Formats: sequence, structure tokens, C-alpha cells
Amino acid sequence: MTSSALTRPGQRERLSSKLFEVDWRLALLLCMIAGVGALMLYSIANSSWEPWADKHLIRFGVCLALMLVLSMVDLRVWFLAAYPVYVIGFVLLIAVAVFGHSALGATRWLKLGPMQIQPSELMKIGVVLALARFYHGVSANDARLSWKLLIPAALIGAPVLLVARQPDLGTAILIALTGAVVMFMAGLSSRVLAVGAIGAIAGIPPFILFVLKDYQRNRILSFLNPEADPSGNGYHSLQSKIALGSGGFLGKGYGLGSQSQLNFLPEKQTDFIFATFGEEFGFVGCFGLLVLYAAVIAISLRIASISHSHFGRLSAAGVTATFALYILINAAMVVGLAPVVGVPMPLLSYGGTVMVTVMIGFGLIMAVRVHRYAEITSGRGALL
Amino acid sequence: MSLEPHIFFDEVNERQGVFHRRTFLLGGFAGLGLLALTGRLAALQLFEGRRYQSLSASNQFNFRLRTPPRGRVLDRNGVEIASNRPDFRLLVLRDEIGDVDATLDKVAELIPITPERRKALKRDIANSPRFVPVAIANDLTWDEFSRINVRTPELPGVTAEMGEARVYPFGGAFAHVIGYVSKINAEDLQKAGPSPEPLLLHPGFRIGKQGVERAFDLQLRGKPGAQKVEVDAVGRVVREDPAGDIKAIAGKDIQLTLDADIQNRALEVFGEESGGCVMMDVRNGDILCLVSSPSFDANSFVKGVSGVEYRALAQYERKPLLDKALSGLYPPGSTFKTMVALAALESGIDPNTRYTCSGAFPFGNHVFKCDKVHGTLEMTGAIATSCDIYFYRTALAVGVDKIADVARRFGLGQTFDIGISGQKPGIVPDQEWKRRYFRKSPANQKWFPGETPSVGIGQGYTVVNPLQLCVMAARLANGRKALHPRLIRSIGGVEQPRGDMVQDLSVDHAHVDFVRRAMAAVTTSGTAAQVADLGLGPIKMAGKTGTAQSHSYKGGRGAYGARGEWALRDHAWFVAFAPYDDPRYALSVLVEHGGFGAQAAAPRAREIMRVALLKDPELRSRIETPLPLPALPENAGAEGAAPPPPTLLPGAPDTPV
Repeated sequence: MTSSALTRPGQRERLSSKLFEVDWRLALLLCMIAGVGALMLYSIANSSWEPWADKHLIRFGVCLALMLVLSMVDLRVWFLAAYPVYVIGFVLLIAVAVFGHSALGATRWLKLGPMQIQPSELMKIGVVLALARFYHGVSANDARLSWKLLIPAALIGAPVLLVARQPDLGTAILIALTGAVVMFMAGLSSRVLAVGAIGAIAGIPPFILFVLKDYQRNRILSFLNPEADPSGNGYHSLQSKIALGSGGFLGKGYGLGSQSQLNFLPEKQTDFIFATFGEEFGFVGCFGLLVLYAAVIAISLRIASISHSHFGRLSAAGVTATFALYILINAAMVVGLAPVVGVPMPLLSYGGTVMVTVMIGFGLIMAVRVHRYAEITSGRGALL
Repeated sequence: MSLEPHIFFDEVNERQGVFHRRTFLLGGFAGLGLLALTGRLAALQLFEGRRYQSLSASNQFNFRLRTPPRGRVLDRNGVEIASNRPDFRLLVLRDEIGDVDATLDKVAELIPITPERRKALKRDIANSPRFVPVAIANDLTWDEFSRINVRTPELPGVTAEMGEARVYPFGGAFAHVIGYVSKINAEDLQKAGPSPEPLLLHPGFRIGKQGVERAFDLQLRGKPGAQKVEVDAVGRVVREDPAGDIKAIAGKDIQLTLDADIQNRALEVFGEESGGCVMMDVRNGDILCLVSSPSFDANSFVKGVSGVEYRALAQYERKPLLDKALSGLYPPGSTFKTMVALAALESGIDPNTRYTCSGAFPFGNHVFKCDKVHGTLEMTGAIATSCDIYFYRTALAVGVDKIADVARRFGLGQTFDIGISGQKPGIVPDQEWKRRYFRKSPANQKWFPGETPSVGIGQGYTVVNPLQLCVMAARLANGRKALHPRLIRSIGGVEQPRGDMVQDLSVDHAHVDFVRRAMAAVTTSGTAAQVADLGLGPIKMAGKTGTAQSHSYKGGRGAYGARGEWALRDHAWFVAFAPYDDPRYALSVLVEHGGFGAQAAAPRAREIMRVALLKDPELRSRIETPLPLPALPENAGAEGAAPPPPTLLPGAPDTPV
């Protein structure tokens, strides 16, 4: 290693060095995506900052600051906080189940004074942190296949069941898949993975028939045959496809998307904002946006792979997986390849909770990059 | 202890290696997912883009039905006798209003709605088919219309619309001919088939119910248009798109042969009397006047008459709803003598044959009476004075079959295709007719000689309608063609066949001339001598009166002439043509239970005929020919002393000045 500023003792701990180590390309990409989101929200509201675009930008600004602050937090602090965060999240999930606040037929929120928090969002980060923390102290052999793996299975399974009970199928699937990705990245045997995947696929039909609530089942049935009831359950999916398809190659033009402007497209500012974008900017716009997202994923995975600590690698990869799953599930739903589940497009959709979660996640990724040389030697951590 | 760092190091390397390999896999999966999405987007946006664009457009745009203006009905000079006026109305669409009561409450703040009307409206709205608006108010004033128009954005599903309503400027004068329009009812809809045109269901649509309106409903109706509007997801109209509108095609105008002035005057001269009048142009068969009195205001039927009003019309003994000119059947009385005279001439009977009228004619076991003692008469005198005895005897001499044959050739006992329905054929009796009519009672099938004298004076079984008698007069006046009446002059500018493009009248011109001369005698020295004087100088009218017995006088119930109870009095007839020397117009006038033809019918016929003659520019110039100036002495000396004769030809007098 050549003699550089970073090699000098204590130099890495200085705030100026840390800020320099923040991946500003990634930050710029995130700003661009959020900017596109604000642009679309402005258009949907009939060329008005009210009621969405202004709040979206303010929230993003706050979250960006939060991300930068979190990126300064030493990775060993993250390491230490991993289990406590998970436990707090889990307790809050139980609290939601016991005395949560109901809205729209689902119990997802907890009222804390003026604030409403959604513990399932916290749990997305919590599960990633806890799993990374767990695998940090596990040998490669044990990570491949051993009885120890019942612990991460339980770490994933318990919150997933609680979230699915709320019911919030989208988040439950997201947490389960994120957990599976972390286990995979930690080195889970590919045979176990194959058996698990086959088991999951085999379990889908009985799950749909016996576990799901009626409205959830209808969504899936209407996904399989959207034309059966175009004004009922298939409406979202059909209108979304019409919006996207009618955009064509170059789109109808900014502010000219009739599907969203005339309210044919439901949830146009949240879950279906990608369809609105596709209607106004066409295939070219959609492709460009997907390239932006792909760049974010690629940079994030690169950050994960250059980390010196296993905790850093796995937590960054887990957060990246969450982000990628958000994009894939939402886009698949919007283009009609997946049933309608309430998963928004990260940073594009209007909505504070998901933005906070995603930006905390990128704060963690940035922290992994900034502290990529940090050594976390023991299970107890080196800070103490 | 020494192994641990080594193992630890190995382990770290192994874990890192696995992670790195799997990072590529994870990145690959994410990339694959994004690629799949791109492929799907390409399929949706690039390959199926057209389909989704049209789906998007059909989401975005709706077409609102626009009713076409109904074709007008014009008289022969282009005067509108049925047209359209603007009508401001308020429509609601069931699919677009949330709460019917709340909407009606809000509308009631703007225009009053009575509780009964409200109940009916709620029923109508509940029963209305999807996408078919219901009119909750018609005939709004401009004030009300604009007040509502301003407020419609707050009233989803309520639209103020400017449509058209049918109007008949002459009210009742043409009611029987033109008929009227009204809202479509369940029966009409049934006839339209299982999936009727949307136009039929529109609240602004009216269907023809009688006369021309009904017979030519399809031609008058036109083709509906559509207004292109941009709507949002709940169906509210966001914008209008005039470039995308489909223009409604107006219905075809129908021009009749009727003349509004003659028609109006005819109805006017009838006053309160019941009856009918038909006038034809004897050169081409055009019907200039087709009146039935009393009439009714067709405009009130457009709005929908109340039960009370309708019952009053239906129960009035003078039957305003009946078209007496086409559907009313009456014995022709003495007007039929023209036919008997023709039959006699064709049978070779000498018109100079004389019979003596002593006021009564015993035949068989019955005594046939005459209204007075006419003394000895030949045929012309018998027609002029309308002697019954003469024609009892002539009829017996000719026979009923011959009379019926001539009468049918002149249009009696039949219906004519004039475009509208409602004619009754009447009866011209002969032996064959009686056999058919009484086929169920063989005892009555034989023609008894005692029935023939009644036929000779247009009584007995004989019944005709005023149109037939007008055709008879027109054919007599024309003398050459079996004229056919024409009511519809053109449809959408396409001329209909004229009434003189028909076969010749198979009759000896000399015989027709004889009858015409006799009819001229009627108005100069006969029964209608004073009453039929037109007062138009050289223009004279020839005619024949008729006083037809409507009930038997036996038992003191009926009475000759205009005495006693109205419903039992005689019918008064007058058939005529003018000018006598060059016939142009023929008419028949019936005054139901009017008494004597010369008293009730002839003066009315004279008034109606005067309008037609004075409107004719050629005749007018003939009437208004200035008196020739006295010839200058030198010219008189040079060319002879004969004074110039009254100019008979149209145009300026060629007398040198």
C-alpha cells in the first residue's frame, strides 16, 4: 500500500476523509431517480407542485441528509446495533399485532404520539442486519449446511409470519426473499436452495387456496385472467397495461398521459407511477429509468464486494437485494407479469415510509463503503 | 491456538470467495430480471402499442348522441307547416349520478319540481336503460337554462342541452294531414326489434304518430350524429373535441301539394261546423286543400295531452280526431246525379227525354218523393233543379250496374294512394256488390228493383268520402285523364309522380261536356244560382249541390234540411270546379248535418274556391284585366266599328292605345 492520507493512523476516522469516501456517483444516481419521481408527480397533479411533488422533494432532501449522516456511522456501531434493531423491530411487530392502528382493512401502523410508524419497514433493515451479524461469526461450512442455519431461518420466518398476518403480503414476500438472498450470499448450499425453491413453488397453490384472504386471492386470479373482470379486480392491471402500451416508443409527451391525468389509472402516484412514466415517456423513457436502477444495483453490489468484513459484505448485499426486489416486483406488477401487490417503486413512488427505509438502506451501503477497511474481529465487536 | 488464525484466514478467504462468486450470480439475476422487464416493455409499447393506444383512446373519449333535426313539412309554396324550434331541456344520466334524491334536490333549487313529478322522475330514472339519459325538464326558458348550465359542474350526470322540439305553426289547420309526433312508447319500441337504435331511446327523439309524420317517419327522422367528448375515469366530461364530432344528418324535408292559404281559409269558413273539404288541381291532380273540421291543435299532442284533454276531444260529438275528408263516409246525395246522368248518356238515353215531376213517384209498394213539384223536365233541367223524380226514373231505365260502373270510373268507392293512410273506400252498390255483401244471408243477395231509385239520387247503400267526390269533380272537369290525387309533392327534393301521368278516362267527351254544361246551369239558374256566384267577373264556377239524408225521417226523428236535432239533420254537399270555361280547380265540400247543400255547403265552397282562383296569377290577370279604353275615332273608322271584345287571354290587352 502506497503512502497516502488513508494510511496514516487516525486519518480514516476524520470526517473529511469519510465524506470523501462517500460514493457520490451513487448519491447522484439516487438524486436523479428521485428527481424523475418529482417530475412525474408534478405532471400527474396537472402540472402542480401540490400535493405530491413538493413533499416528495422535501422528503428526499431530508432522507438524503439522513443517508449521509448514517454513512458516517462506524460499521462497528452498525454491527453492535444489529441484534438490538432486530429485537426492537420484532417487539414493535408484536405490538402492532396486539394494538395496532387499522387502516384500509390492514393493521400495519403503530401510533406513537403524532407519529405513525410501520414496524414492518424497520424490519426490512432489521432482518438484513441480524442475518449479516449472524453469518459474520459462522464458518463457511456451517453456512453451507448445518443445524445452525435454523437460527437464520427463524430470524426470517418469525417477522415474515407476523407481517403476513397484518396482512401485508407484499412486504412479507419482500422480507422473505431478502432473507433468502442473504443466506444465499453467505454460501447456502445450492441443493438446499433448489429444494427450498421447489418447495416454495409447490406450496403456492395450497397457500393461495387456504391461507390467503379473499381479496388477495382475487388479485391473483385476476392476474391470471385479467380480462375476466376488467372493471373489477382486473382493472388495475388492465389500465396499467393500457397506460404503458399506449405510450409507445417515445411516449405521449410530458403532462399528456390521458390514462393518469383522467384518473383511469388507480394509484397513479404511488404503486403505478412507473406506468404513468411509461405512458408519458414511452419505451425510451422506461429503458432509461431501468438503466439508472441497474446502475444503482451494480454500484451497490460493487461496494458490497470490496468490503473487508463479512458483515459489511452481507449487509450491503442484503440492502441491495431489497432495493432490487422492490424494483422487480413493482415493475413486474405494473407490466402485468405479477399480481397486484402493494409494493411501490423505490424513490419514484410518492410515500414517505418506503423512502425512509430505502435511504436508511443506502446509508448502510455508504457506511460499508466508507468503512470498508474496518475490521470487525470478534462477535463482540472491537468498539468496546 | 496456532492453527486458529490460519483456519480463520482460510475461512475468511473461502467465505469471501463464495460471496464474490455469488455476487456475480446475484447481479446476473437482477440483470436478467431487468432484461425480462425490458422485453415485456418492448412487447407492450413497441409491438402492441397500437392496440393499447386505441384502448386508451376509447377510455379517454366518449360519444354523446346528437339527435338530427327532423325534416320539415312544407306546403306547395315552401311555407313551413311543420318545423322545429329550439328547446332547452335538462337531462340526467343514471350511470353518472350517485344519489338520485340528492341530485333532484339540487335541481329543485334551480327549477321547481312538484312532488308528483318527482315521483314520476324517480321511476323514470330507475327504469332508464344504461347510457340513456332521462329528461327531467323540457321547455326551459333561456333564464332557467343558463342558470342550470352554470351549475352543471356541481351536478355530475346532469346536462343542460339545447335540442329541438316539433312545432306546427298553423296549429290545427293541418293536424289531420300531417299528424303529430310524440314520445316513443313501449309498443313502438317493440316494433323496432330487440336492440333498437340508440336514437330511439334518446329523450329528445319523437316518433311520428299520424298522417305524414307517421307515413314518412323514416325519411323525416334523419341520421343521428355524435359529439366527441373527453371524459375522466368516472365519466365526467373534461373537454369537448369539436374536431371529432360526427355531424347529425337532418331528416328530409317533405313538400306537400297543399296550399297553406287555401287550407287555412277552408278551416276558417267551416267555423264550428263539422265537415270536410278537398280541393284538387284538375290539371295535375295535386291536392290543394284537405281539411277536416273541427280540428285539434297538434302542438298540444307533441307535449303530450292530458287524459282530460284527450277525453274531451274523443267524446265531442263532432269528432275532431276523425279525418272526415278521408275516413268520413256519407251518402253523396244529389251530387251523385252527375254520375247517373253520364250512365244514362252512355246507355244511349236521349238527354231530351222528359219526365214529369208531380212531387211523388210510386214504384212497387213504395212512394218515392221529391222535395217539390218540378213539372216536366229534360235532363239538364233535372240536374239544375236537382229533381229526384227524374233521376228515380232515369236510374230505373239505366240499371244499377251501369251507374256503379260509371261512378267507379270517376273514382267513387275506392281508395287512392296519396302517401298517408286513413281512407275508407265507401260503397258504390251494384248487384255483384250485394251478392258479396250479403253472402251470409241468401235472401238479401238479390238486387230488388225498388232499391234502384234510391241509388239514382245518391242514397240507399251509397256512401263516399269527400276525397272521392273531389276526384269525381276533378275528373269531370279534366274530362280526359283519370286523374289521381297527389298529396306528396317531393321528398328530400325528389319529385313524386304527378297525378296526371295516368291512363285516359274512358268516357265520351261529348257526354262529359253535357254534364259540365248541366253543372254550369246549377250555378247560373239552378239550385245554387246565387250562392255560388264567385264575384270574380268573367270567372264562373260550375257545381252540383247535394242534400243527403243521414237518417230516416220516419217517426218524426229526422228532418229535411237544417231543422231539429243536429245529429239527425241532413248532410250538405257541394262539388264544383272553376273556372267553368277552362277548369283549373275542383273541390268537394261536406258539411256534416249541415242541412241543405245550397245553404250550408255551396257558400263555403265559393269562399274556398275564391282563394284558390285569386292566388292563381294567370286567373288573377284575367280577373283584373283593365277595361279597354274607347277606341280612337280614326282607328275605328279604319278598322271597322266592332268594339274590342273583353280580353280572355292572359297578358296585356293588345288593343292599340
